Amino acid sequence: MVMKVISADHAVAHGARLARVEVVPAFPITPQTLIVELIAEFINDGELDADFLPVESEHSAMSAAIGACAGGARAFTATSSQGLALMHEMLYAAPQNRLPVVMVNVNRSLGAASGIWVEYNDSMPERESGWLQVYIEDNQEALDMVIQAYRIAEDRGVMLPMMVCLDGFVLSHTVERVDFPDQQLVDSFLPKFKPLYVLDPDEPVTMNPITPPEYAMEMRYQLHQAVDESKLVIEKVDREYGALTGRAYGGLIDTYQMEDAEIALIALGTVTSTARVVVDHLRSKGKKVGLVKLRFLRPFPSDELRSIAKNLKALGVFDRSVSFNGFGPVFTETRNALYHLGIPLTNHVAGIGGRDVTFEEVREMFSVIEENAKGHRVKECHWHGLRGGS
Amino acid sequence: MYEIRFHGRGGQGAVMAAQALAEAAVLEGYYAQAFPYFGAERRGAPVRAFARIDESKISIKSQVYEPDALVILDESILEIDPISEGLKPDGKAIINTVKKPEEVDLGIEVECGTVDATTIALETIKAPIVNTSILGAFARVVDIVPLESILNAIMNRFGEKLGHQSGVMNAEAARIAYHNTVVGRCKGTRTIVRKKVWLPAWDEIPIGNTLSAREIDGIAVGPGSMAQNLTGTWRTQTPRYSKEKCIRCLRCWFSCPEGCIERQEDDYERWDYRYCKGCGICAEVCPADAIEMVRGVYEW
Ligand code: SF4
Ligand code: SF4
Repeated sequence: MVMKVISADHAVAHGARLARVEVVPAFPITPQTLIVELIAEFINDGELDADFLPVESEHSAMSAAIGACAGGARAFTATSSQGLALMHEMLYAAPQNRLPVVMVNVNRSLGAASGIWVEYNDSMPERESGWLQVYIEDNQEALDMVIQAYRIAEDRGVMLPMMVCLDGFVLSHTVERVDFPDQQLVDSFLPKFKPLYVLDPDEPVTMNPITPPEYAMEMRYQLHQAVDESKLVIEKVDREYGALTGRAYGGLIDTYQMEDAEIALIALGTVTSTARVVVDHLRSKGKKVGLVKLRFLRPFPSDELRSIAKNLKALGVFDRSVSFNGFGPVFTETRNALYHLGIPLTNHVAGIGGRDVTFEEVREMFSVIEENAKGHRVKECHWHGLRGGS
Repeated sequence: MYEIRFHGRGGQGAVMAAQALAEAAVLEGYYAQAFPYFGAERRGAPVRAFARIDESKISIKSQVYEPDALVILDESILEIDPISEGLKPDGKAIINTVKKPEEVDLGIEVECGTVDATTIALETIKAPIVNTSILGAFARVVDIVPLESILNAIMNRFGEKLGHQSGVMNAEAARIAYHNTVVGRCKGTRTIVRKKVWLPAWDEIPIGNTLSAREIDGIAVGPGSMAQNLTGTWRTQTPRYSKEKCIRCLRCWFSCPEGCIERQEDDYERWDYRYCKGCGICAEVCPADAIEMVRGVYEW
């Protein structure tokens, strides 16, 4: 086994190489740039047998990825922030046509108040597009999830595009130890892509014809079911990958110290790591705290969350994006899922616009949750690290 | 509430007719609404439009399923759609046809007014756009809005959009049609068959929104499917080709929006009338007058 010290962006590029992607249309945007640069090098150096398409915009990148996938190729692309927003229109073509494109989105705030730092308000709005979305905690997971993503996306029962979301800079430009699975092992885990239909002039098909109301509603429902059913595949693929490499990630949702926990925080992305340390710290002081790592936002693990949370006295939800005048999207999803349980919930907005999320801030989240569990009055939505009131 | 359903083809002005009728009703002091329903097809495709007239504000926003009156702008649609479906037994029908009411079979015997609106339109406004003529017939058969209001509504809508002169000509077409309409009772002997469309449950739809040529079910799916959309049924006029005059310039072949002109080995043409929608573009571009547009649906 090879081990390297690389950034998450480079881990992603190696993941794509090991997954033997065949077509990579891409447009560089910070902080995703390192991904496409390295993939371009792989192709140039003959380490990856793929076509690299330097397109003139992200809209074209997604169009080309969809076209390549429709042509039967395993397609990969990566983007970030404004780039993802520019793809928005094309994103919707992939799910209903059941084209399992895999894309890495390096999360970055979406201007105005332009910034290149992590925030989830680029990918969160795309949860209505039909794409599956996984949020990554570290560089190893970044590499492993690109490989897993193709197995999940291309599963006959799924056939949906998948977005692997990772924190800009906190992961994309941070180097860590990453273990590489052998190519042989990946090949055995990830067979060649078998599309449902192929655009082939010799055997013509019509893809995505105009769809009148008599059919559109049933088709949407079919897609709705497919996203729902991807849950089982995600769990299965993760278990298989774990058996093969020793690294499983818990499928849809992972827990830490939840067995006897009385209060807990739901986190996603890199804040999960910091929260683990806070949990250890609070546990050492005798507090029964736990952590829920939310991996997938689509499909949203509602049932799983209910069974994990049912005995809690209070639960907090971390959000790295804002719904103005409302709550963060992860909070909204969580509250929907847990509504009938009646568990006191609080929303914890932090790290907006790339603001660093510190150990202290996460500890503050837990103390709000603790107060809530005791039945004290607390605000439903807290902004942590905000100057002027809180 | 009085509900009207219009059946026509793209380009005949069914939508404008419904709107003008609604406007006429409003001029009479009623509340009214009018709206279209059509697919993404083009000129010639069957379209529907709806109008509602009532004494108080109309809140319902769904389509009309049990009309009090049917307005049929193109007789040939009778062969495609179950047009009279839902028509109330005491309802009325207004049809653009050269036939007398008693010669028309709607599948339900109702009071019926017939008029050759196409000829009137061709003579007055010089185009086969029959919406205003048929409204004149409507005023004759249904006494909810008098002819005067319909003429005023036509002047308003057409005058505003196409100029005063056009308003005058369209109003004239309506007036002539009003007088030429023959009122009687139509036949009700044919059975109203629902169009055979494949309406699958969500789990019967081929996954991926893709229609494969080999899948029989696939090609029967509505969206854009050639097997179902025989655009040849849309035409009201048919191109007739004279091989003798043809100089084989291929302009018609190049210009046909339906791709239904087939080029033969020797560059003479052959027509696939299943898909010729009668737009007349081929005749228009032909420099040798080798293509003549003939009213009606034929195959040569
Ligand atoms: S009328 Fe001529 S141009 Fe139009 S569809 Fe028919 S063949 Fe084609
Ligand atoms: S446009 Fe007229 S002359 Fe030219 S090929 Fe067609 S029919 Fe013949």
